[in-house]
Amino acid sequence: MSDLVNVTIDGVAVAVPKGTTIIEAAKQAGVLVPHYCYHPSLPSPAVCRMCLVDVEKAPKLLPACVTTVAEGNVINVNNEKSKKARESVLEFLLINHPLDCPICDQAGECELQDYVFQEGRANTRYGDYAKRFNPVEDFGPDVLYVANRCILCTRCVRFMESVADEPVLNVSERGDRAFIGIDPDHLLTHPWSGNVVDLCPVGSLISKDFLHKARAWDLDKTASICPGCTQGCNTMIDTRDDIVVRLRPRANLEVNRHFICDTGRADYRWMNRGDRIEAPLVREGGKLIPTDWDHALARLAELTRGARSIVILASGRASTESLGFVRRLADHGTVTAAVKVPLGTEAPLAGVPNLALRKERAPNLDGARLAGYAATWAGALAAAPGADLVLVLDADIDDAEAATLARARSAVVIGTVDDDRIHCANLLLPTTNMAEENGTYVNRDGRVQRYYQAKAAPGMARPAWWIAAEAGHLATGASAPKTAAAAFATLSSSMPGLGGLTYADLGHTGRVVSPATTGAAR
Amino acid sequence: MSGTAHAARHDAPDQPVFVGQVKDKLEALFPSYPTRMACLLPALWMVQEARGWISPDAIAEVATVLGLTPAYVRGVATFYTMYHLHPVGRHFIQVCGTSPCHLCGSDEVMKAILQQTGCGEVGATSPDDRFTVIEVECLGACGFATPILVDDDFHDSVTPERVAGVLARYP
Repeated sequence: MSDLVNVTIDGVAVAVPKGTTIIEAAKQAGVLVPHYCYHPSLPSPAVCRMCLVDVEKAPKLLPACVTTVAEGNVINVNNEKSKKARESVLEFLLINHPLDCPICDQAGECELQDYVFQEGRANTRYGDYAKRFNPVEDFGPDVLYVANRCILCTRCVRFMESVADEPVLNVSERGDRAFIGIDPDHLLTHPWSGNVVDLCPVGSLISKDFLHKARAWDLDKTASICPGCTQGCNTMIDTRDDIVVRLRPRANLEVNRHFICDTGRADYRWMNRGDRIEAPLVREGGKLIPTDWDHALARLAELTRGARSIVILASGRASTESLGFVRRLADHGTVTAAVKVPLGTEAPLAGVPNLALRKERAPNLDGARLAGYAATWAGALAAAPGADLVLVLDADIDDAEAATLARARSAVVIGTVDDDRIHCANLLLPTTNMAEENGTYVNRDGRVQRYYQAKAAPGMARPAWWIAAEAGHLATGASAPKTAAAAFATLSSSMPGLGGLTYADLGHTGRVVSPATTGAAR
Repeated sequence: MSGTAHAARHDAPDQPVFVGQVKDKLEALFPSYPTRMACLLPALWMVQEARGWISPDAIAEVATVLGLTPAYVRGVATFYTMYHLHPVGRHFIQVCGTSPCHLCGSDEVMKAILQQTGCGEVGATSPDDRFTVIEVECLGACGFATPILVDDDFHDSVTPERVAGVLARYP
């Protein structure tokens, strides 16, 4: 145990590995050291002086973010000396900070606001002096810089320099004139530069997209997974009154650390689409007639039972549960199952190994592979006209594909968005999109990760696994799971690739079930 | 230094600074520093000597020459107050305004300089582009108030009466 160091922080004894900083050791002891410039995914310059703590026998306060613990350290984060130091630092920060919280996007999730409220002075001693003023600057496609609110923690500068490897930001001028400067010829156009908005502890770097859209305390936050590519970055979906208004990264040190790319961040509007299929539609005498689930499911069971060859055209955004149960519907016949994989250009984040916006712009290709979606999209399309039944699972259908679909003997679409192109189907079943259901995705490294329901499903929409499982029950008598957890457990006990895992095993950061593959689905 | 360098500085504002002799001079400095980055301050001085001020184009050039980014060079150049990031007159006058000189009448000297150069106010450039005047803290000659720096030349014991004579030496 010689590589462990014993320290006492605010009276709590902890043993931490040698080389741990005080601020990280304090987290182990359940103590938050207030800080601005420190961030676990960035190098620490110790410039903000907020994390100064009292270490017994040390002559002066020490910065917790860069000081490593030593055997027997007794550290006081919340004694009079440390608190006094923080109060002074906060007073300095507030000399030039505007009192514009009522119109500031960061209010409610602002670290300056929080710490001043906790342990700052109740009033100012600088009331007679005018505050420094600088105009708001445009920093790039989605970033505004409000210089007046800046506390110069330099997190944004260090992110662009050390993580994004595109150092376009700097600290310009000095002393009370200092501000964050930008190279006028290179705005924040790096594909991951939106992270500076999350990194900013105050309302200085703000998102144009989210500007004045919602107050932090009106938002409901739901843990989710970015459906943008096979990377599977952990995200937080923020909704206001059941409308998704923002996506932010959620920490997962194994996958995306604290970052998501700008493409993933901006791609949420489809979750709010209003042009949805809201009731099951069944073809009666050449017309699609709204019906209830009992009739719709009976029709689906009847269509699948009678089909000996089935083609499944699925979206790469479908959950593992949905892919698995839809695939099961076809188990009795010959199956050609494929997922659609939109392609884009790869955009890596230089400072984090194995993190990039991937070429394959669908989140669950490995889940599809595990569930037996082995055909290529082109192969499945070619087989569609000759099959007894074509099952479309929320895949985007373009004009050419719609023409192929129209030639199918029989087609069922389990879909979200209502579109003329899928009106040739015999049965249209409304399903939830990923923001409206619980489910799992398997990322490119075989990590099974959960996402949670963030908003209500429209109309009669149900998760696709529920639709498929209920129809399967009518067709074969197999028992149908009633929750996503039960659906996953059922699949995982029969699919060797999922290793018998349950939702309880996955936690908030997921579990790796299969070694990294450049799998067949790709 | 001031005479030759300043005479040349308005010759070719759009041309690169680091060519010919200036380039050789910079490259001769490289072995004295552990990294190219460490050479940044002297490089900026060379630009200022050659051009009188450090333009955004010059910042980009310094960045290229030293293998740095323009943002970093700009951060350093703005940190130090003695680099001019805006054009200044052909001659740059710094007048001491610290307490001992102030007691000995430096504000009268300043008034005379502003009036005779035509600058009008501290920090401004005269309409003929000849002078820029600023006030600085202690120039280290408190016993010889009031000291002024014109470019790199030091003049002590300046009084309002002597101003005209000093200025006449800088056409």
